[in-house]
Order: sequence, then structure tokens, then C-alpha cells
Amino acid sequence: MKPFSVSTPEGTKDLLYSDCLARRGVQAALGSLFRRRGYSEIITPEVEYYDLFLQSGNPLPQEAMRKLVDQSGKILVMRPDNTAPIARICASRLQSANLPLRLYYSQTVFRSGSANRGRNSEIAQCGVELIGAPGRRADLEMVATAVQALEACGVSDFRIELGHAGFFRALAAQLDLDEEAYERLRGAVEGKNFASLEELLDSYGKLPAAAALRKLSMLFGGAEVLDEARSLFDGGEAREALDLLAWLYKELSAAGMENRVQFDLGLVHQLEYYTGVVFRGYAAGAGSVVLSGGRYDNLMASFGRPAPATGFAVDVDAVAGCLAPPEPPVPDTVVHYAPECLRGALRLADSMPPGACQLSPYENPEESVALAGEKGAKCVVFLDNGTVREVKL
Amino acid sequence: MNRLRIALTKGRLQEESVALFERMGLDCTQVKNPGRRLVHSVSNYPLDIVLAKAPDVVTYVEHGVCDLGIVGKDTILEMGRSFYEVLDLGFGRCRFALAVRDGEDFYGTYKTRRIATKYPAVARAFFADKGMDVSVIKIEGSVELAPLLGLADAIVDLVETGATLRENGLVPIEDIHQISARLIVNTASMKLYKPEILDFVGKCERALEETK
Repeated sequence: MKPFSVSTPEGTKDLLYSDCLARRGVQAALGSLFRRRGYSEIITPEVEYYDLFLQSGNPLPQEAMRKLVDQSGKILVMRPDNTAPIARICASRLQSANLPLRLYYSQTVFRSGSANRGRNSEIAQCGVELIGAPGRRADLEMVATAVQALEACGVSDFRIELGHAGFFRALAAQLDLDEEAYERLRGAVEGKNFASLEELLDSYGKLPAAAALRKLSMLFGGAEVLDEARSLFDGGEAREALDLLAWLYKELSAAGMENRVQFDLGLVHQLEYYTGVVFRGYAAGAGSVVLSGGRYDNLMASFGRPAPATGFAVDVDAVAGCLAPPEPPVPDTVVHYAPECLRGALRLADSMPPGACQLSPYENPEESVALAGEKGAKCVVFLDNGTVREVKL
Repeated sequence: MNRLRIALTKGRLQEESVALFERMGLDCTQVKNPGRRLVHSVSNYPLDIVLAKAPDVVTYVEHGVCDLGIVGKDTILEMGRSFYEVLDLGFGRCRFALAVRDGEDFYGTYKTRRIATKYPAVARAFFADKGMDVSVIKIEGSVELAPLLGLADAIVDLVETGATLRENGLVPIEDIHQISARLIVNTASMKLYKPEILDFVGKCERALEETK
């Protein structure tokens, strides 16, 4: 036996029976919702040139991407992200298609570098991109679609959390920070590291922006945090960001989604990528984010076709993990048939629900009965010379 | 109220954590008399306590099987993070330092220096910041032994008083990072159970303030 002949590579796994049904169930529910919202599915290659993800300004570190080298020496990566390939398509093959474009995908992304930490290196994602739609209407629809996406999957206890890249940017702009200090500050806000935030802002004293930044990691929760934020800092881009979030909350509430939506103004991940509203989904039973998205108005320009864009991706298996496992089909009937009765046997199998019936591969009737017993079926149907005989077990 | 679960780092941090909890008014009878039990509940507060090795505390919190954790900054620096690090608890203080054999001129050579450490990520990041290419070798036990045996030119390790270093003829030449115990929170728990988490964090903060 070769040492690696029976295990799957680090971070990968086989999905059997109910695990597989659960993943497919989530994908089917999302695909159906996305099609009803006018999105068309696209499939992109599993491998792409490394340059694609450099060009996109992808925030993934290079060690997180799985690399290959093709025959001509070019560096390839296993698709680490679904959005950059879609931006590439919109700027190339679909360059003469009218905007806005609505595209969805259901495909795996590949990551490396999480050895022994129990993380998946293959992540099944299902998501949408709305390319070429500016403004708050598109943001509203996108957040509403995110809420409906988790509802459609059957997640009962979840929250979609909204933030805005502009609020932190406006505050940080007041402080005149160099790149390194900016990144340290952003990291402290993202990590809700209260202690180090105090330390970093120590020298800025009573500056209103510094006072607001000190509180920023606590500005999460219900709509009341928007008012609190406004009382701390209300200038320029910060005001626009808060106005937009307040408007979204009003309209989402009017649509009956107020219990699904909350806010975190300290949501400052991937700031070089996201330009406006950002959001994340949390579900009871999942220890990490199950949905992630936002507005990224600069990405398309890096492929030569400037256009505003917004979208989100669902982590399919993370969502499946918070649902009750699907019931596997109950076996009911085993069909033992003479070869000349094949047509009748197939017709009988087709008349039953999927999984309820299976044909016996055996010639000996006793083996078919034994098979039915092992599988927990309730009866065996014998088809022979036009006669049908049913034996209950 | 939703019941929270916290992972404490076994050993010295555990004692200090329990002392902190008692100052917060939590009944820690179970965790102080663990017996064969693995999950210890607090009778007068909705909190369950588990004890784990430091890296496992980070793993449990990252995966969300524990909502909260108390772990040293050393472990956080070494493992990276995808959780909220909300409080510096102030105990378990020590520092990461670079130490060499007494009298050794560590920087005065063009040769690639070899660094022995239990914390390869911390050591690599420290020298990468200096733009210095070094060779890092991971040691599991007493790191002080490596320079004595001639395996390494220096060590990167946790230093509290420096007594162990001195006994082995080593001297700390540079501090890398100050270390203390941190309270960490799973990102999803923070968002889904905000009132419970903030109540606990608030109690912690007040107890820390009072003893300052």
C-alpha cells in the first residue's frame, strides 16, 4: 500500500450521501433564486494565469494561491477567487454587451497554506456579480438578495451585517498617516483590538476623528450604531456613507427585513478592493462568515473597462453545515427481473421516487431477497415472463 | 441569555484567569476542582470553561466551538489571527527577545545567521522587517541548548527575567515584542451574541480597572 493511496490531500474531503445532498440542496436553492433575479450562470476555467489575479489587485497573498506552471513556462493558479475571472470576461468576451450585466456562478475556489488547521482548501462558492450598475438602488437590491439567499437555503437564525468602506477612510484621512501606520490602524479596527487602538491613537488627543476611531470597533449592532456614529463624526465621505446605510436600513425595513440586518462600521477588511457598502453574513451554528460581498467600483477599470460593480459569494458548505442534514431517500423496493423484462423493470423504477427503488444485479432470486433485506427495502418485485409477483419482507 | 464557552490556556495563565474571574464575581468552584470533567460550568453566570494548550485555544476560537479564549500574545503572533483580540488582560507578562552567546558579535558578519526558536513565524517576521536573510530552525524543547551545542548563532524566545539565559551564558540583545495575556473572541459569536459577549468583556474590564 502506498502511504497516500487512501487519504485525500490536506484540506480536501469526499462528500457522501447527506453531505453531498446538503451541498447540492444549497446550490440548487441559490441557483434558483439567482435565476429568478435575472442572473445568468457562467462557468470559468479551474486554472487561470497568475497575471489575472495580480492585475485585479486581489488581496489574497501569493502563498494562498495554488500554482502550476504550463508547458511554456507561464505561471497558472487554481482559481483562488470567482470575481476576477468574471471581471476579465466582462472586459473581454462581453466587452460589447450592454451594461448592467448580471452573472452568477457556482464553482470551487482553491486555497493553500492552511495545513493542519482544519480549514478547507477547496471552497464551494455560489455568488452573483452585478456589473455596471451604480448607486444605492443596486446596493439595496444586492443586500436584499443576500438576505433572500440565506432564507432560500433554509437558514433560520442569521444576520446580514452592513458596513461601508468610506466611513473608516474618511476618519483615517483626518490623521495624516503614512502607509504603515494606516495599515496598523486598519488592522486594529478590523481585529477589534481595543488596547492597540488606544495606543495607536494616543498622540492624536482630542481630534474628533481620533475619538471616533477609538470607538469604531464598538460601533456594531442594530441601526442605533448609525446615529451613534453620526454623533462622533459627520464630515464628507463619512456622512455619505452613513446616509447610504441609513437609507438601506429604511428600505430593507419597509420590505420586512429589519430583523435580518445589522451594522458594523468597523468592517474594514480588503479596503483596497471594496469601495462602498460591504456586507457579511453570520449564521448560528457557523463559526465563521457564511456570506461575504460588497461594492468594488475599481476592479473593472484594472481590466480596461471601467464600470461600477457589486456582488457577493456564499460559502456553500458553511451554510449547509448550519442546516439540519437532509433525509436520505428511504429504500422501498428491489426489482428482480428476467433480462427480457428489462423494459418493465425500468418503467417500474421510474414510477417511484428517486432512491426508493433499485434493480437487483443478481440472477438468483434469493440473493435479491437478501439484498432487499440488507438495504432495508420493504418488498421485492419479481418480473418474469410477463408475470409480476410482489413479496413483502 | 445564550451560554458562552471560554477556552483558557492551561498552566500559569489559567491560574491568573481564574483569579480574574473570581474578582469578576464568577463562581469558579468547578474549574478549581476539575476531577475528570472536561467542561466546567460557572454556577452563577452563563459561562462554561474548557482548558486547553495555548495553540488549541486559538484553534477552538477560530472555529467557533469556543466563543472566547484567553491566550498569550506570543501564540497569537506565531499563529496569525482570524478573530477579535479585544482586551489586554495585563497578566502573563514577558517579552520576545533575541539572545546570543555572551560576547558574540551577532550582526558583524556577512554569513547567514542561524536562529533557533519555538516560534519560527515570529523569528522570520522580525528578521524580514530588518531586511535580513536568516535560516530559522525550529526547536521544541529548551531552545537555550541550540547555541551552546553550536547548532544556532542566536535564539528567539520568550524571556521573563532573563535568569535562564544568564545561567546558560546567553544575553538578550534585542527586544522583539512585549507579551501579555489577551482576551480573544470568535467573529461570528461577537456578532450573533453581542449582549452576552459585551457583558462579559465589561465585567473583565471593570475587574482589571479595580486592581490597577
